Amino acid sequence: MAIHLNRRTALFLTVAGTMALATPLAAQGRTLRLAFIPQENPEKLLGDIGAITGWLSDEIGVPVEGFVTIDHAAAVEALRNGDADISFMGALPFVLAEVEIGAVPLLSEVYRGAPNYTGRIFVRRDSGITTLADLRGRDIAFADPISESGYLYPLAEFEKAGLVEGPGKADDFFGRIFFAGGYQQAMQAMAEGLVDAAGVSQYADLLLTPTQQAEVTWIAQSDAIPSHVVIARPGLDPDVQQRFVDAMMKLNEPANRDLLRYLYGPDGYVIADSAAYDGVRDMARKYGLLR
Amino acid sequence: MLLNFLRLLVTACVSAAVLSGPVSATPAKEAPWLPEAAAYRLTLFLGNLEPLPWDQVAAAWSEPYRNSEFSSGALEWLQAKSEVDPKRVQEAIARQDRQALFAGATRLIALRIREELDRALDATDPAAARQAVQAGRELYRAFADGIKAADPEAARDIGIAWLDLNSSVGSSGVLGAGATSADREKMAAASAVISGYLTRNYLVGSFAPRETLSAVPETAALDGRAIEVPPSLPPGSDIFDQVPLPRLVLNFEERGIDETDLPLVAYGDMLFDSSQIFGSPARELGIACSTCHNRSDINQRLFIPGASHQPGAIDVDGAFFNPIFNDRRDDPIDIPSLRGLRFTGPYGRDGRFASLRDFTRNVIVGEFGGEEPTDFMMDALIAYMLEFDFLPNSMLTPDGKLTDAAPQAARRGEAIFNRPFAGLGARSCASCHVPDGNFLDRQAYDIGSATPPYAGARAGAFDTPTLLGTLYTAPYFHDGSLPTLGAVVEWFDDTKSLGLTGTESADLTAYLETVGAADDPYEAFDDENTTFRLAFSELTTFASTLDTLLPRRDAEHVILLTDTVATDLSRDASTMSNLSARPEIYTLADRLAEVGAAARAGDWPTAEASWAAFQALAAEIDGRAF
Repeated sequence: MAIHLNRRTALFLTVAGTMALATPLAAQGRTLRLAFIPQENPEKLLGDIGAITGWLSDEIGVPVEGFVTIDHAAAVEALRNGDADISFMGALPFVLAEVEIGAVPLLSEVYRGAPNYTGRIFVRRDSGITTLADLRGRDIAFADPISESGYLYPLAEFEKAGLVEGPGKADDFFGRIFFAGGYQQAMQAMAEGLVDAAGVSQYADLLLTPTQQAEVTWIAQSDAIPSHVVIARPGLDPDVQQRFVDAMMKLNEPANRDLLRYLYGPDGYVIADSAAYDGVRDMARKYGLLR
Repeated sequence: MLLNFLRLLVTACVSAAVLSGPVSATPAKEAPWLPEAAAYRLTLFLGNLEPLPWDQVAAAWSEPYRNSEFSSGALEWLQAKSEVDPKRVQEAIARQDRQALFAGATRLIALRIREELDRALDATDPAAARQAVQAGRELYRAFADGIKAADPEAARDIGIAWLDLNSSVGSSGVLGAGATSADREKMAAASAVISGYLTRNYLVGSFAPRETLSAVPETAALDGRAIEVPPSLPPGSDIFDQVPLPRLVLNFEERGIDETDLPLVAYGDMLFDSSQIFGSPARELGIACSTCHNRSDINQRLFIPGASHQPGAIDVDGAFFNPIFNDRRDDPIDIPSLRGLRFTGPYGRDGRFASLRDFTRNVIVGEFGGEEPTDFMMDALIAYMLEFDFLPNSMLTPDGKLTDAAPQAARRGEAIFNRPFAGLGARSCASCHVPDGNFLDRQAYDIGSATPPYAGARAGAFDTPTLLGTLYTAPYFHDGSLPTLGAVVEWFDDTKSLGLTGTESADLTAYLETVGAADDPYEAFDDENTTFRLAFSELTTFASTLDTLLPRRDAEHVILLTDTVATDLSRDASTMSNLSARPEIYTLADRLAEVGAAARAGDWPTAEASWAAFQALAAEIDGRAF
């Protein structure tokens, strides 16, 4: 949307913790600062941040502030220079941030019962396309060139099938390759017949209208992709870090589940398993994003 | 971007959760509109109403649209984000000049798209270019349905151009890795495709007069072809079922009779949920009886700009649904509950129809422009609606007395309810809301709740409404002007000089709340007993009427059933929790559509075979259908 942020624009929203500052940490004046990656409408995100940081302040016993960064890079920069203690992040930027600043994974989002998801190749049911090989010379829309489920993982399926030789060789197989800008745009382009296939998240068909959903199907599915992760800067006070994790895990309790909608809307959180991100690390290396 | 997706997905899932209309044609949750695009779409919609609600058109530009994610209206937004001058739009609104408004608003959107295209081309970094492309594409949504309907080839070219543009802006990579630079030549070429079309169609010097305002491109409007733009509702509309979903109480069901053994009732149940019985635009929009009357009750969230003055209210004889039925009166009414319908005649807020059958036909043919229903359809609908019972309430005896379960305040209130008041002509509340008559008297009175439409008018009488179940049907009165039962008590106290003390008002309110309460007012759902499960159960029950209709070779009613149920099964599958079973539901819907296709062709053996295949598959997937 037409929200013009620049890298230096940080939309700060300070939230006063409502709990009496009785704990030793709070008494030291420590404030936990969370970096959020913008959604479509930062104005709405600010409201969401207000709601969740207020709750976290109560739970953790220290003031919690949240702010919106321009992108993942700005969030990592904020972690590096201490402007942020914790950030919400995608899997791919996390593995890069891990190498760059030693970011620590704390929690992984759970969606539909799992801390991972897949990428799929969707086609129209009436297209007659049933295999990846059928897409030779045909047009495909992906979401974004640096998206795990919206490009890297779905494209890897064509490699596994022996149809694409590797990174940079996709043009030899497909007709035209588009990056539509998002899952919904890629799916819409396919559903409307602008392209023959879409390589996107497994859940992207839910972004179509109910009628369109019935008109599409998928023909290939990628390996599991670990879900988004909540990361901490290296050196964050272990006690604060633990309190934050404990509070976040309480969001899994029925009484608190409503609050998840203020946090990008996962079904819940689990303690992050760093090994679960090995596949992303391999993928990042393969595409030259990680050395 | 993945974060964006999760948010969108949540939106989709939230919509899935609230779609919930067991068999209503599932509406799709729309992506948010940018403020100026929303104002434009509202302008087109409101501009087609007669009389044209200019105050609402003005508000469409000055205020955020209903449920907008943006806190500012279009004019404020434009001032902050754009160089485009909205002066022509404002002047047209001030002059109440419909054609000038259309021209000014159309040019404004076209100029905004162009502005974003220019920003994309001028951007020095990919992120800014991408934002501009996305903004331009979202603004283009305001024109997209008109172009697609009038000029599908151009719609395709422009669709590809947006893809090309987005693909060539380059990428900032992630944390500096994987960055690519923009392909400016490609960007310029793609931008020219879009910009050129806008110049020829939306930035013309003057627009041909429009009988119907739409986003149809000027070149197509000029060549005089009839162009059917699919009906749509403007931003701010809400035809989703209310949450929580009211509980449906059917007399036969409570007695333990299976609906599949009542084919006439089951067919009526289907019709109640079918938009196929209405005409355009209700039919295309998926609006059915149950859209307003969720599970025989009400829909507190229903809102259509220009037709609703507040959520839960609608003017069904305005310009939108059936223009020939337009009474040119802006008089939306609060949607009434249909619970206990066989005890609540006459029908209509003012009791203008003595017969439920006449009332129902008027809704179908008059209000919603449907074709004349067959006798069978009317018989079925009436048979079904006569099964609507009131919600059980353990605090009330069948003859309207309080039980021991009722609170003390309500007991004190009961005495006040039965006390004669001078301000009520020595009558009591109970004189009209007769406790042993389901708290109504089947009479109409002018209690002064409506403003007289002209001097000397005797036009303000309304039916005495039942008080049963009313705790869940706020707001109150024919126009929904009173938000709570307490406000109703206060209104009577003020206007009828009842002289109630504060305690008495509270006690009387407690009594009304007790009479209006219910043991289980809402449907209960869990992980497997989902809204889709309810829909699946109902839709397969509706289909069971084929056991009656196929042997009778009743093609007309078979086709109506299969068109409704196959479509709804398929669309409702989008609300499933068990996503892996969705393809099976699509196959099931296909089997039913095959029954309809065979009936259309008069091929009854095939129709029966497809029906048998449907039944076998439905039984097989029953456990996974949630």
